[in-house]
Amino acid sequence: MCKCDSEKDIYLPLPATVGKVKSMTKLESFFSCQLDSGEELGHMPGQFVEVSIPGIGEAPISVSSSPTRKGSFEMVIRNVGNVSEALHKLAAGDKLFIRGPFGTSFPVDEAMKGKDIIFVCGGIGIVPVRSAIQYVLDNRDDYGRVIILFGAKTPSDRLFIEELDKWREEKNVTFLETVDHRDESWSGPEGVITTLLPLVKIDKENTIAVACGPPIMYKFVIIVLLEAGLREDQIYLSLERRMKCGVGKCGHCQINNIYVCQDGPVFNFSDITDIKEAL
Amino acid sequence: MSKLKVAFFDFACCEGCQLQVYNLEEEILDLLEIVEPVEWREAMSDQSDDYDVAIIEGSITRVEDEEHLKAIRKNAKTLIALGACATIGGINKIKNNFEMQDVRKYVYGKDANMPHLDTYPTKAVNEVVKTDYMVHGCPINIKEFSYIVRSLAIGKEPKIPNYPVCVECKMKENVCRFEYGEICLGPIIRAGCDAKCPSNGMWCFGCRGLVDDPNVNAAKDVMAEYGKTLDDLLGKMLLFGNKQEY
Amino acid sequence: MKIKKLDKAAFGKWVNSCIENQRVYGVQAKEDRFVFAPLVSAKDLRLDHDVTILPPKKYFLPPQETLLKFDRKEGFESVFDDEPFVLFGVHPYDMVAISQTDKLFAENHYDTHYFKRRQKATIVASDVQNASKDVFAGCMGTATVNDGFDILITKIDSYYLVDIRTKKGRALAKTIKDAEDADDMSLKLRKLVWADNTELLQKHKLHVRPEVLPRVLDRSYEHPVWEENAQRCYSCGSCNLVCPTCYCFDVRDDVEWNLQKGRRYRVWDGCLLAEFAAVAGGHNFRRNRADRYRHRYYRKGKYVPEKIGEVACVGCGRCITACTAKIANPVEVYNKLVDEGK
Repeated sequence: MCKCDSEKDIYLPLPATVGKVKSMTKLESFFSCQLDSGEELGHMPGQFVEVSIPGIGEAPISVSSSPTRKGSFEMVIRNVGNVSEALHKLAAGDKLFIRGPFGTSFPVDEAMKGKDIIFVCGGIGIVPVRSAIQYVLDNRDDYGRVIILFGAKTPSDRLFIEELDKWREEKNVTFLETVDHRDESWSGPEGVITTLLPLVKIDKENTIAVACGPPIMYKFVIIVLLEAGLREDQIYLSLERRMKCGVGKCGHCQINNIYVCQDGPVFNFSDITDIKEAL
Repeated sequence: MSKLKVAFFDFACCEGCQLQVYNLEEEILDLLEIVEPVEWREAMSDQSDDYDVAIIEGSITRVEDEEHLKAIRKNAKTLIALGACATIGGINKIKNNFEMQDVRKYVYGKDANMPHLDTYPTKAVNEVVKTDYMVHGCPINIKEFSYIVRSLAIGKEPKIPNYPVCVECKMKENVCRFEYGEICLGPIIRAGCDAKCPSNGMWCFGCRGLVDDPNVNAAKDVMAEYGKTLDDLLGKMLLFGNKQEY
Repeated sequence: MKIKKLDKAAFGKWVNSCIENQRVYGVQAKEDRFVFAPLVSAKDLRLDHDVTILPPKKYFLPPQETLLKFDRKEGFESVFDDEPFVLFGVHPYDMVAISQTDKLFAENHYDTHYFKRRQKATIVASDVQNASKDVFAGCMGTATVNDGFDILITKIDSYYLVDIRTKKGRALAKTIKDAEDADDMSLKLRKLVWADNTELLQKHKLHVRPEVLPRVLDRSYEHPVWEENAQRCYSCGSCNLVCPTCYCFDVRDDVEWNLQKGRRYRVWDGCLLAEFAAVAGGHNFRRNRADRYRHRYYRKGKYVPEKIGEVACVGCGRCITACTAKIANPVEVYNKLVDEGK
């Protein structure tokens, strides 16, 4: 038996304060927060935190900002459950409680360094990837070409609208965007995100792909990326499961032999091709 | 924080589930800190149409009750079915196995055709109006009722178990009724009662209704395993399991 | 300290002296079965039990356990339970399961709630005197145990050998420190008990060594047995809940009537239950009964072994007994995969 006499409680959430709240779509709101301890969250792009509202519960939420942007951390929360509904009632100055950061991150300092990066984000999948995008843009010289592809269901589902425009105008970035279903407000391309991939030139030897989106998106995006000549180990993706405890104990996020909260949420695709429940 | 205005209504039932609410005893004062009853026939004489939450006990067995319930639904922001009669039709549904005329005759004899004794096949509350929450059981588990009220008061969707009674029965470390050669409905009935009956030496009667996805095929096979028939099982379900969808 | 030899009277006296001084739980009869429960007298202790309905994990990972208390404005505070206690009558297979859970709760993130209790527990293990109808510990290498406990009791004829191993064990055994030491003959007899138990605790026989299971499962993911057996699965989680090596849990919040204060607690959960892998918004990553059913056997026979090098089944047979549908016999399931692969 391990005798480490640790008083630390892995289930104890720490207080944080909401700085800014902004509604983004019908379902999604943006929150910037700060730990009350004054410390930085200390996360890497792709990691998640467990957010608590006492009495309501706890939910796993991706951190959406880059650790290069100090002072606060940002989350986008979709209103789909008890905790997220309670979070949506918070205003600037309100308290919430945080455990983490947990899990693996996009290899911004390792495999991605010096490479061309193609970000493929479907819908709310842009939320964790944005952290990596910001990180790469803040260290722009460390990477090759940067390509960002974003697909939303409809124009009103688009997240980070102002930031999308900034990326579109950025000289050093190729930014392409589509919606599955167009309406009168949208003059851009219509079609699923895979329709954007043939529009960009991929240097297959020298590119890392970072993908995040709904389960169905992965099936198609991965096929297209492999067809473009990428190897499985050049693709990173982020998976969603019920990460209840965040510390590899409760069992809810397990997919086959893997705990998403420990071994993920970011996976190298070559590591999960044999994991039957993964995709 | 303003109190939730709550009205209790009862239809065809024994009113025993409301009685469970009084059985909160001193906790009832805590309850009254967060809810304001505006109509509660068993406890007070006031009547009101001004309420946020309507709590419906009993099942619907007459045309005029159905109209009344629909009117309540219009008034209420939230409607809660209280107890097995309201959530699944309960014992009242036994009569749905017979012709209504025969039922009337059996119960009322020569008065069977009196107009005020008119009756139709029993309906659960959600067969008549949209039901937001169900407090299952015959009677309800008052701990669960309290949890539901407190959850609603802080704006949280209460989580009602969608797993079988076996889960709670195992946690209580009961000897399984099947080991005594009894048929217990626990494996297909929704938990939330703390396995009250098995913990007190009885099989599960099924008062909380089926889980969302009961494995009825399994039940058939398993009966054979124990030398029982499907009819034995259905017999056990006569009390609470009548005309449930599965 | 050595191995002590106590006759029945001295043994009872010792147990009673333990009860006087601390919280003691011991195996006792409950109707026709046995359970661990608070022990008030040595005469209630049933070391002749075949198996308890629930394993002793209920004392380390209680069915419901408060982790934190909170004030909705102020936030959370840890709640720990670290009152010392003694467990009397833990069978070897359950001891192995406890040691395994220790590893899993220590790795990567140390679970203080678990270990506060665990470290304050004195475990008195007991060699099996009567085999239960479904036990197969003999094939899992868990019919006997050599570590993890503080004291091991073996009944031989009309006396007990009390093998005291640890500091906590010595503390518990201080009233018998002057008792007679075990003679060579009793120690030889104890070895015979162990050999016998390995044979006797095999009511079901696994056709391979347990270490081979991960390899067997490697080629069995699409085997029809998962679908076939799941057709009879109630998804009631009984197999999970009575399992000494299952430790999955759900976490819930409850507020008090004042709507300000409350507690966060964990409750036993099970991977067979319908909503185990459902996420907020409703998507269920393991919606099919067969997928959930298969997951359990993979977790026991492959996933946990790959993580810590031990099969996560100790052969207690509780799942076999607890499953009303009679589909939870790991030996039957694994043998089917083994035999058809031959």
